Amino acid sequence: MMAAAAVELESSLELSFSGGGGGGAGLGSLPPARSRIFKIIVIGDSNVGKTCLTYRFCAGRFPQRTEATIGVDFRERAVTIDGERIKIQLWDTAGQERFRKSMVQHYYRNVHAVVFVYDMTNVASFHNLPSWIEECKQHLLTNEIPRILVGNKCDLRNAIQVPTDLAQKFADTYSMPLFETSAKNPNDNDQVEAIFMTLAHKLKSHKPLMLSQPPDNSEIQLTHGPKPALPCWC
Amino acid sequence: MSVRRPPPNGIARQDYDSKKKRKVAEIYQALSSSPIDVAALRRMAISEGGLLTDEIRRKVWPKLLNVSTDDLPPPPEPDLRERSTDYQQVLLDVRRSLRRFPPGMPDEQREGLQEELIDIILQVLERNPQLHYYQGYHDIVVTFLLVVGERLATALVEKLSTHHLRDFMDPTMDNTKHILNYLMPIIDQVNPEVHDFMQSAEVGTIFALSWLITWFGHVLSDFRHVVRLYDFFLACHPLMPIYFAAVIVLYREQEVLDCECDMASVHHLLSQIPQDLPYETLISRAGDLFVQFPPSELAREAAQQQAERTAASTFKDFELASAQQRPDAVLRQRFKERLRLEEPTKSVLTKPRTNRFVKLAVMGLTVALGAAALAVVKSALEWAPKFELQIFP
Ligand SMILES: Nc1nc2c(ncn2[C@@H]2O[C@H](COP(=O)(O)OP(=O)(O)OP(=O)(O)O)[C@@H](O)[C@H]2O)c(=O)[nH]1
Ligand SMILES: [Mg+2]
Repeated sequence: MMAAAAVELESSLELSFSGGGGGGAGLGSLPPARSRIFKIIVIGDSNVGKTCLTYRFCAGRFPQRTEATIGVDFRERAVTIDGERIKIQLWDTAGQERFRKSMVQHYYRNVHAVVFVYDMTNVASFHNLPSWIEECKQHLLTNEIPRILVGNKCDLRNAIQVPTDLAQKFADTYSMPLFETSAKNPNDNDQVEAIFMTLAHKLKSHKPLMLSQPPDNSEIQLTHGPKPALPCWC
Repeated sequence: MSVRRPPPNGIARQDYDSKKKRKVAEIYQALSSSPIDVAALRRMAISEGGLLTDEIRRKVWPKLLNVSTDDLPPPPEPDLRERSTDYQQVLLDVRRSLRRFPPGMPDEQREGLQEELIDIILQVLERNPQLHYYQGYHDIVVTFLLVVGERLATALVEKLSTHHLRDFMDPTMDNTKHILNYLMPIIDQVNPEVHDFMQSAEVGTIFALSWLITWFGHVLSDFRHVVRLYDFFLACHPLMPIYFAAVIVLYREQEVLDCECDMASVHHLLSQIPQDLPYETLISRAGDLFVQFPPSELAREAAQQQAERTAASTFKDFELASAQQRPDAVLRQRFKERLRLEEPTKSVLTKPRTNRFVKLAVMGLTVALGAAALAVVKSALEWAPKFELQIFP
């Protein structure tokens, strides 16, 4: 017999951090007060760490284990920004190409932002970005939707295949801010948080938000919150 | 709704044990008769408790798939992995599949099985170049590996992949999507309110995608439930998993209706599958729904977007149930047949929508009789006198 508690399952923990206590509430038990919802879709190749990143943001830690995402998984977290309660919905999509063609489009509907993820230790996942970006363009109605680029697994320092300057150049070409991060590294507690919170701020203000990542050692800088700089994403 | 649990008192326990014993005896009898009574084995696989033990599954699953155990595929060649273009993806998925293995299993043993899992998948793909790997396929293959071992699993999975799973393994997922299109029409037949609610939430059907293409192996954590369902699906029409998916949604109808009517909330609710479902009851209901609303009746609605018209009688569905054909191809083929036939065969069932309540009454009755057994037998004549015997009171 399986001891369910002993098995950590990435999709079983869908935390909603409510601003005013009573944490750990499921979706159904959130207070009825209507808070604004920001819907963010996370896309990129299989195994780049989309599930880990979204889990990290919503549950506050790196999942012990993940499984291949089939179709689309959903996680959310409530945050408070400038006194306003906001629900951040993360749609974690499957990376295998066959899923994105016919399955994922439905989830592009009404998205407020897009997060492209590549694996810094896997150059192929970086080279595949243009096709993800192209596809995303076809599904989105407008160009106004904020998009960001996240290079994941920066903790694997000795295995990095995608240099920061190359990634930065690429991000500039597509007018996206770049973040290099790790869903895993326990020392970078606020970094994944900072990325999604930055997006949320941007969405809340509806104004262009300047973002950047210093070329070296973003991990420390970002923990102090995003600093206005270039490039701009509009 | 009755949830079947191990009975509480000693007498009931004895009763349960003796029923189980009787069923085991019946299964072995069907296995030893000449020719093997496959129809009986199918009914056993569907009726309460399914095939009961892995020992029996090792004997019966090959029969359900018409696979000869004397003629297994050769062991994989040493350079199989180098030759494969799917190896990387398969490796990534198998590495992340720890949860599919019994929790107490020593790492070494599990790692050995994971290697075998990769080999089975790659070997089936190599022998069948028309098949394309999908994430989730590994969740199906691991179930066979754990129950029947590597060599036999290869043979069973190969057969399954060219039949039940064939549509999922096309170059694109268009046919998979088509099969998912059956979900809402089934729900509509039974509970239009739930159907309409889900439609207005625009929830889509992707929450059921992993259920369908892994036969629930990806979402259920208790392996006993997984194999019980596999007994059922192996014995049934390839579209049965979508009926089972509908039954799960319908079982949770109150939760659904209480949910906020938006895509995220409903998707979230439905994709978190409860682990304590009353499987036997739901299996029986899925069988009922299949009988009452066979694929042919739903095809029109399901195919609306693709302008595809299909039709067939319930008889046809019974035949197909044992023929184990590729689900989507089946529908297409029947469309052609229909064109050839002068007179469309009449369904024994009433038209959808208008007589829903009559149907619900029928459903209550057939649940009591374990009508799931109906969905598999060869002809309507065969089941009438027998199927009562297949279930436990
Ligand atoms: N070292 C390290 N490993 C990571 C990090 N993020 C994810 N991983 C590992 O990378 C593997 C893939 O992570 P997932 O989150 O499952 O990848 P995914 O992008 O969701 O993959 P699909 O669901 O197949 O599309 C897992 O084994 C993770 O443990 C990270 O920041 N650092
Ligand atoms: Mg994932």
